[in-house]
Parts: sequence; structure tokens; C-alpha cells
Amino acid sequence: MGRPAGAFKEEALLRPLSGIRPGLIAGSLVTGAIMGLLFFCWGYQVRNDIGVAGINRPVFWGFYITNFVFWIGISHAGTLISAILRVTSAEWRRPVTRCAEAITVFALSIGGLFPLIHLGRPWLFWFMIPFPNSRGLWPNFRSPLVWDMMAIGTYLTGSVLYLLLPLLPDMAILRDRALAETPASLKARLYTLMALGWRGTTQQWHSLEAGIKAMAIIIIPVAVSVHTIVSWDFSMTLQPMWHSTIFGPYFVVGAIYSGIGVLMVAMYLLRRGLRLEEYLTDKVFNNLGLLFVAFTVIWTYFTAAEHITVWYGHEPSEMAVFWERLAGDYAGIFWGMIIVNTIIPLGVLSFRWGRRPLATAIVGLGVLIGMWIERFLIVVGTLRMPRMDFTVGTYSPSWVELGVLVGSFGMFAMLYFVFVQLAPIVSIWEVREGDHIANPLPASSQPIGEEV
Amino acid sequence: MSWLHAAFDSVSDAQDALEQLAEAGVAASEIEVRSSIPLVHEACPVGLEVRSRVPLMAVVGGLVGATVAFLLVSLTSQAYPLPTGGMPIVPLPTAGVITFEGVALGAILCTVATVLYECRLPRLGGRSGPLDHHLASGSIIVAAKSDAGASDAWAAKARATEVQPAA
Repeated sequence: MGRPAGAFKEEALLRPLSGIRPGLIAGSLVTGAIMGLLFFCWGYQVRNDIGVAGINRPVFWGFYITNFVFWIGISHAGTLISAILRVTSAEWRRPVTRCAEAITVFALSIGGLFPLIHLGRPWLFWFMIPFPNSRGLWPNFRSPLVWDMMAIGTYLTGSVLYLLLPLLPDMAILRDRALAETPASLKARLYTLMALGWRGTTQQWHSLEAGIKAMAIIIIPVAVSVHTIVSWDFSMTLQPMWHSTIFGPYFVVGAIYSGIGVLMVAMYLLRRGLRLEEYLTDKVFNNLGLLFVAFTVIWTYFTAAEHITVWYGHEPSEMAVFWERLAGDYAGIFWGMIIVNTIIPLGVLSFRWGRRPLATAIVGLGVLIGMWIERFLIVVGTLRMPRMDFTVGTYSPSWVELGVLVGSFGMFAMLYFVFVQLAPIVSIWEVREGDHIANPLPASSQPIGEEV
Repeated sequence: MSWLHAAFDSVSDAQDALEQLAEAGVAASEIEVRSSIPLVHEACPVGLEVRSRVPLMAVVGGLVGATVAFLLVSLTSQAYPLPTGGMPIVPLPTAGVITFEGVALGAILCTVATVLYECRLPRLGGRSGPLDHHLASGSIIVAAKSDAGASDAWAAKARATEVQPAA
């Protein structure tokens, strides 16, 4: 099997799962407290009404919708990238897939909260669910907002199952270890439950592999549809610099771009924090760095195409938004975005030394900031200057919106801290399989003759 | 009839054991291989046919999902028609978006349900099998029904063996 039995080489992967790890517990508590800020601010808003947020005429979509688009974009880190790498049989995917898939589930869960927060009265959310309300009305399926809910619901369902399905064999490994060491422990019972009775028989492996392959193929168009539909929330209107035919692919590319960014940062922190250098190797960062360069170029191309078309058309309403971005109130953050999203990634990642773990993580962090700015410019930049000149307005976020934003990052980190303490963040069986493929038939072992 | 379980450290040892079992005339249905990685093509009992209907069921799930989603959109829109200014009550492009998501959701749910069915999961009351703790460290377990007095030579290279009496 590529490595001798008994010598459990994956011990590093199980370290966070065994015993009490003060660093992980402290991290969970700190990030949990930051997450508490989200729920405190949301609760304050529910109690005092949506007026405590900075949104007002004509900017009805502010930080909340910016965050919604941002987090849905982040969710493309995992399932989509993992599925593409699985479908293309990229061998270096093996240590990456699990931590990427977890990002998707957590980011989608957080992203899905923002429409509820933005709603102001979250208890009326069920009007969106295909179930007739007290007036006998069904959701209006012609509305992109309802498409959103359907797409995000499908993607979340698919992503959770796509994370859990390949987790079964690892849960069985953890169960068998726990049962051998401490059969009556809570851990043994928990892993027994989570493994669902997985035994690793020939038929089970065959079905699981077929299932993972089918899910990978299905999930790719779903992921593309999700961010396309999110972009249609904007482009189906006639607002300046929203009504664009390339908004779908532009959003999808931006989503994958920010997704790779967060994956870089998460992988670097996992590598350092959990000492996973053996699995999250320099080669993995180098390959993801190359993918990052490709998406830098594609994102830059789309951004340029979007702006040059508007400039050439010179339609007055669009030019007002255009100049506001390039030379007006938002020029500072616009050009900052170009620096962190285009100039720095190309300047650093084009060279091999720039595709080392720390450098890629720093570039990834910059891209995350840049992509959040991009979403902010799209959402608020246009709404400040709608087609009717007399409705021009301003927007500045309130402390409630800022608290919710900060809290959402805390929630993401907290969920990740909890996950790494429950499940191996690098798939044990996939890494083993990779070793086996690289070294298919090692020399036959000598009989040990241990009678049990 | 009892089962003899044997844990092997390498795939080649497990393959040798499976070949010996086949030579001894043990039917594939009386042999079970368990491993911590997929070895469907390498360490499979001779003559055992493993099949999966996952791809077929994914397509069926997609078709069912599409039908349900389209009916949901069209029937509910017609049940309470909103004023559309002469535009269609059920426009195909917008219904198509929901139908597409229905295809995906149906295919996903059907895929997972089929995997669970074929794997006979969940088996919540099921305990680990004999020697299964060796799976955790990467061993391969071959189990075969054993007749009293039959040769257990196939398990000679095993790092551990255990006899599981008939239930």
C-alpha cells in the first residue's frame, strides 16, 4: 500500500482530532466571540428595525448585498475547484479537495444569511419558499431573486453532500482507531455514527467512486449557474453598468478568483498551524499559484472589457457611474482594487519564487480585499447614481453593518476551527490512494503471523 | 459456517490470497475484501462482478427533478396568475432557470440515495468487523467462508488473522 502497516504516516492529519489542543480551542473561542458580533448586530437591527443600517434612498443595497455576493463568490473556492480537479484527474488535488469543499459549505451558509439580514424582517422569509402564503400567493418564479434562492439552495445541498460523501471512508478510519483505543468513548460513538457503518468493501468503493464522479460532473454547472444567477440580480435591471451581457461570466470568473484567494490563505494557515507541510506541499501552492495567474489574467480581461465598452458607448447615465469609479469618490478604492487584483498578482505569481506558500497567501489576501471592493463598487457605485439624476444619493455603512461584516469573517473562521477538530482536513484515503497510484505494488511483506 | 479474516500489509499479498482462494474453488460470493482505499480493479475476488447504477439513477433523478420543477413553476403560476401586461404567465426562459436547478437537485439527491442504497448504508447499529482496526493503518482485509478442515494456506502471509464464528 505504499507504506508499511502500523507506521501510521497520516498521524499529522489526526493530530488536531486527538486530545485537547489549546490553540484550536482558543481559536474557536476567539472567532466564536467575533461571530457573536454578527448576531448581536443582527439582533440589534431586528429590535430597532432596518433603519439602523446605512442603506437609504437610492442606495437600498449596501454592505449586506455586497457581502452576500462576496461570500457566494468565496463559496466557489471549494466544490467547483475540487470538482474540476477531480474530473480532470489532477493528482495534486488530493490534499486540497477537503479543505476547499469545507470552504464552500461554510461560505455558502454565511452568504445565505445576508439576504435574511437584508430583509429586515427575517421572519417573512418563508414568502420565498414555494409554499402558498396566507393570501394564496406562490413565489413569483419570474423574479431573479427567487432564482437565487433555488440556485443557492441546490448548490448548498449539493456541496454539503459532496463534502460528506468522500468523508465516509475517513470517518470509518477514525471509528476503527477510536474503537481499538477507547471503545466506550464519546469520540468512538461519534465517529461510529458519522461513518454510517462504512466497511470499505469492493462494492462500497465502486459505488462511492461512481457517486463522487457523478456529483463532480453535476456540481460544476450548478456552481456556474449560482453566480450567473447572482449576477442576473443586477444585469436583469436596466441600471447603468449593471445591464451587461457579460455579467454572468464576469461574476463566475470573479467568484473563482476570490475562491482561489481564500483557498490560498486557508491552506497556508492550515499548513503552518497544523504542521501539514508534508501534504500541503510547495508543489500544491505552485500549481494553485499558476491557476491563480490564469484567473488574474481572465478577471483583468473581463474588467477591461466591461469598462471599455461602457466608455466607448458614452451613454450619459453609464458615464456618470464610470467616472465616479475611475476619477470620482470611488477612484481610490477602484485603483486599489486594480493594484491588488491585477498588478500585484501578476508581479508576484508570474515568478516561481512568488508561488511559494507565504507569497501566495499574501497575494490571496490582497485578492480577497480587491474582490470585496469590486462587489462594493458594483452594488453601491451604481445605486448611488441611478438613471434619474434627481435621485443621486450617498451611502456610508453604519456600525451595525460593519459589525455584521466583521462577524461574518469570525463565523467563517469559527466554523473552520470546529471542522478541523472533527474531521481530517486532508482526505486520508485520497492521499493514501495517491501514494498507492505512485507506488502500486511494493515488495511483498514478510508474514508476521500475529494471531489475534 | 465461520469466516476467516486475514489482514495483509500489501496489495500483492492480498492478490496472492485471492488467487489461492480462487484456485481452491471458493466462490466470489463467499469472499469479501475490505480496504481503506479503492482497490476495485486490483484486489477483487475472482469472478465477482461489481456494478453500480449511479450514472443511470443520476439521469433518472435529473428527469424527475426537471418535471417536478417545471410543474411547480407552471401550475403555481397559473393557479394565481399575476398581471404580466400581456406577457406569458409561464415564460419558458424564466421557467427554464428553475427547471435547470430542478435537474441538478434531482440528479444530486438521486445519486446520493443510490450510493447509500448500493452501499447498504446507513448501518447505524453495525459494529466494526474483525480486524477492521488494521484498515486504519492501511492494511487490506480478505475474509472467506471456511469449512472445517479446509486449508487456510491463503492466509499465510497475513499480519493477523481472526476467525469469526457463524452467527
